This record gives sequence, structure tokens and C-alpha cells, in this order.
Amino acid sequence: MNALLTSAVAGLTAGGTYALLGVCAVFTYRLVAVVNFTGAAIGTAGTFVLIALYEAGFPIWPSVLVGIAAGTLVGVAIGYIMTRWFGEAGASTKAAVTVALLVGIIAIGLRLTGGQHPHNMPELFPGSAFRMAGVEVTIASVLTIGLAALFTVLADLFLNNTKVGLNLRALADRPMAAELLGIRVQLLSLLVWGMTGAFTTFALMIIAPQRSPNFMTLSLLVVPALAAALVGLFRSFWRTLAGGIVLGLVEGMASSVDSISQYRSAIPFLVVLAVLLWSQREARWDEAR
Amino acid sequence: MTDMQWKSSLLAAAFAGIGLAATAGMASAAGPTCKDGTIKVGAVSTITGPADFSEVPKATQAAFDAVNAAGGINGCKIDYTIADDKADPAVAAQAARDLIDNKEAVALVGSGSLLDCAVNSATYSRKKILSVQGLGVDAACFSSPNVAPVNVGPYTLSTAMAWYATNQLKSEKLCAFFIIIGGTQEAYKKAIENWEKISGKKIHLIDLTLPFQGDLTPYVIKARDAGCDAVLTNQVEPQVVQLIKTVDAQKISGINWLFLAPGYTEQVASALADTKQPIYVGTEWEPFTEKSSAANAQWAADMQKAGRPLTAFSQGGYLAAQLFLKVVASIDGEVTRESVSKALHEMQPITNPLAGSPYVFGTAKTHSPMQATKVMRLEKGAWTVETPDWVVLPQAK
Repeated sequence: MNALLTSAVAGLTAGGTYALLGVCAVFTYRLVAVVNFTGAAIGTAGTFVLIALYEAGFPIWPSVLVGIAAGTLVGVAIGYIMTRWFGEAGASTKAAVTVALLVGIIAIGLRLTGGQHPHNMPELFPGSAFRMAGVEVTIASVLTIGLAALFTVLADLFLNNTKVGLNLRALADRPMAAELLGIRVQLLSLLVWGMTGAFTTFALMIIAPQRSPNFMTLSLLVVPALAAALVGLFRSFWRTLAGGIVLGLVEGMASSVDSISQYRSAIPFLVVLAVLLWSQREARWDEAR
Repeated sequence: MTDMQWKSSLLAAAFAGIGLAATAGMASAAGPTCKDGTIKVGAVSTITGPADFSEVPKATQAAFDAVNAAGGINGCKIDYTIADDKADPAVAAQAARDLIDNKEAVALVGSGSLLDCAVNSATYSRKKILSVQGLGVDAACFSSPNVAPVNVGPYTLSTAMAWYATNQLKSEKLCAFFIIIGGTQEAYKKAIENWEKISGKKIHLIDLTLPFQGDLTPYVIKARDAGCDAVLTNQVEPQVVQLIKTVDAQKISGINWLFLAPGYTEQVASALADTKQPIYVGTEWEPFTEKSSAANAQWAADMQKAGRPLTAFSQGGYLAAQLFLKVVASIDGEVTRESVSKALHEMQPITNPLAGSPYVFGTAKTHSPMQATKVMRLEKGAWTVETPDWVVLPQAK
């Protein structure tokens, strides 16, 4: 039992990461109606700008700002492609386009950053916050979970209580109608892309030191993040937050049970499947009636 | 001198002259010859895609260029083609067929690829062509009759590093964590079994579920809680950095961390400059960071002349070229795919200062001629030689 608790706590770091990126994915989906596979890759691009500056000897915090600016730009660039050429496309087409973009970004990123060679990633928030069940819970993981929660609260408030939030929801649901109502669709969309770009970049800067420091592995963090978003059915920020953390905990626990641990990467999908079946049960019953 | 005697001695002299001419003719035929002045050689390597092993064949190329500039082998220039398999099985198969059928390569030398052996070893057997792999990566490189790598490879190196841990670091509770990609599970299990046979010890914990990407915290906690005093893993470059950073974040101490050759790079050293963990890596060849080592002198000089970086990969490509050149030089007559294969099959072991074991191709069903490593330790951001003498794997009891 104790071992199980220990490994669950050990999974917290991963859980916070999934939650934070998952919440960003839901944000993008609810505001611009795109299931965005490039989320983590955008953040990774910004993070590598920070790494390049840091390795070249620039001071950390100004480099962080430049990195975030770069991530914002990449986000806006992808947003421009999506709104300009695929604004009217269906959700599945848009998702497919972002998958293609992800492959492209990884290919370019790997080339520019020296492939598999590791980099010297500065730790923005080094050290351990506290010790629990024999595991050091790092400041970075506490911060990740905290940021995910903060973003969840802010996103909820923003969407439900502000005029811009209302406009953005209209934009996601009925872009054409929103445009006819005089909402500046293109500008607002790009704003959303830029905001999530900036935010995921900062998130990845916190996460990167605990992960394998190369372009591809960081970009592919989007997969468990989308699984967390699916737990929230791409609507609920709170369920996505919880989903991400639970995914991390379950993965952590699975690594302590030998018979399961070799299949642990399949666990997110089992969790998602269970959630989907559970969420569909009412529809089924309604149909049956 | 009678008339008769005079005639016979003239005849004898004439015969002797003919004989001399014949031996002279023989002497010019001794050694390798080639039809149109070139010996065609190829390599299938991963150059673009998820990994870049291009340093391996490029070093082979540099070694061949040097020989060509000096007039070639017995006047024959090496015509070397490097094909990029893009880590794509279909492209790899196509590249091999192109080298064999269209380019008419006599052998493959200095390949370094994620999947060349797995995809093409059956083709190599069918086409009766041999590959002196510069860097054997996948398991098939060490289990195919037509491929004999010049590197120790991850499996033998795992056995050697485990042997080093128990024999020299006096580890009592050795644990092994492996990433399993493709069909490598059996090969890694076998590597640990071999160590158990050689050392007479049992592995304390073996985990074959290490993720290629993902958080490593649960694994380092597992190693700590199991009481491992040494941990051997096959993590590649970036994951080595991630693992040690995770170990540091968890404030774990008292475990020796043992890695294979992919961890032995200058980038890893500089990324882990701050850690106090005891980190050991096994090398495939004479440690490339030892710039003043006599064993490295020729390789370093040739690489610098060709403007190529001094990396471990370039040692592999260079070594493959040197061994191949020696084997070709021993051929009497025309250099063809048949004569090269015959020469590799029948060759005597060749020693080279870059490697700790003599290289031999031979006719065995599987090849793993290299059985020795030198162990490096990471100290304050620099690699230092821990074993000045080669750690040679003893035969199983």
C-alpha cells in the first residue's frame, strides 16, 4: 500500500504537466474550435529560444521573456494558417491539419536544435517544495499544478463573465454568424492563439527540466494532454484538470506493479474510454426509453 | 665448353629468363586488382529522420578519400556511396537494393542506421553481400550471418557494464532498467543472463518497462526503494540527462549509475556538469575524448585533415574503413563481391588500437566480435578514464 502511495505521489509531476497542457488544449478548442495537436510544440519552440539564449550566455529572465515572445509568435503564425485557410473547415479537418503541422514543426525543430543531443535547460524554479510518502515534490510540479488550477479558474471566469469571452464563445460555435454580428473574428482568433502560445511556452519552460530535453519528446507531451482534455470532453476545465492529475497518478502507480507497468502507456486510453462510456450512458438510456 | 654444353646453358638461361618473367608477371598480379579502376562500396545509414548517424559513414568516406588521394589500393580507387534510409523501412530496403543491383557494391562498409540490419539482413544474405557495420544499432546487426559490426553494441556492452559493476565497483544489488524498442527485449534479457553466468550473481531487479518518453520519477523511486546499489540502463543521450536530473531532484544518493555508449557525449557531460551522482558509461572504442591517447592519434589526425568532428561515431566509421581496407589489400586478383566475401569469411583477426578486441568477420551465424570496453566516469562536466586497460568480457563459466 505504501509503495502504491509513493508511486502515486511520484506520478504527480507528470499529472501536473498533463493537466496544464490539457487545460490549454480545452481553452483553444472552446475559443477557436480547433483540436490543437501543435500546443506543446508551440511551447517547445519558445522554450528552445530560451535554451539557445541561455547557452549563448544571456541572463535567464530576459531570455525567458524573449522565449515567451517567440512562443507567442509561433502560436499566432499557426493561428494565422488555421483561420486564414481552414477557418471554414470541419473540426476533423482542422485537427488533421494541426497533426500535419506538428510533424512539420518537429522535423524542423529537431534539425535546428541538433536532433537527439540534449541541451542545457536552465531550471527556472529549482528545488523541492516538500517531501511526501518518501517522494520529493518539486517546486516545479507544485507550480505546474497551481498554474493549471489558476488557468482553470481564470478561463472559467473569462468565458462566462466577460463580453470578450461571450464574443469568443460565439466565434467558436458559429463563426459566420459571429462575423455577421460585427465580431472581429480574425483578430480575436489570433489573440487566442497568441495567448495560448505564450501560456504553453511558460508552462513548458517549467516542465522541460524534468523531461528529456529534446524537441520531439517535449512536443509529444500533447498526446497525454489531449487525453486529459478528452476526460473533460473538451468542455470542462475542471474535469480536464482533474483528468490530467489522475492520469499522472495512475501512470505513477502502474509503474510499481510489474505486471501492468509494461502497458502503462496504454493507461490514458483506458481512462478516456471509461470516461467516454460513462458520459454517454445517459444518452443511451434516453435513446432506450 | 662444348657446343652441346653451350647450347644447353643458353637454353637454361632462356628458361630462367622466361621463369623470371613469369614470376614478375605473378608479382604484378599479386594483390587486389579492379576492372575499371574503382572498387564500389556502399553504406545504408540514417541521416535524416528521428536520428542522425551520418558521422559514421562520413568518417568512412574520409578514410577512403585519404587512401584514394594516396593512389588507392594497388591503384584501385574506392568509389563510396552513402544512402540515407531516413529511418523508414521502405526507403532502407530500396536503398540497399540500389547499392547492390545498380551500383554493384562489393560490400557495405561503415553503415550506421536505426533499422538497416533489421530490414536488409535477409537481402544481404540472399544477394551474398557482407556488411562491415560501422555502428550496429538494432538487434539484427548482432544476429545476422551477413553483418558483423565493428562496435561492441548495446547488448554485449550491457553485459560488460554489469560485469564492471560487480567486479570493480563491488556492487551487490545490481538493478537493470531497459527501454525496449522493437524486438530488443530478448537481446537485453540475454545480456543480463550472460552476466549472471559470468559473475555467478543474480540480478536484484530488472525492469523492462522504462518509457521512451515520460516522467522518470516513479522509476528512480523504485530503484531507491528496492535498495539498488548500482543501476544499469540503456537510456540514450537526452534521457540520461533527464534521469540524473530526476535523481538529483529526488535527493537520492549512494547509487552508481551505469549507462551505455550513447550517453558518452560532450553534450551530456556539459548538461550534467553540476551533478554529484557517480555516473559511469561504457565506450565502444578507445575513448574519443582522450585527445592525447596514442590509440587515437591516427584517427584524430585523419579526421582533422578531412575536417570531420572527433566523435565516437566517427571512430566507428573510420575503424570499419581501416579493417575493410586491410581485408581488401589481402585479396589476390580481382576485387568482386565474391572475392571480398571470401576474404572476410576467411580473414585472420585484425587488431586496431581503436578497439579492445581483434575484429574478425568469419562464417558464424551471428557476429559480435567486439567484447571489450573502457569505462568513463563523469566528473564536474568532463569525462575521465576509469579503466585505462580494456575491460574484456570473460567467457561464461
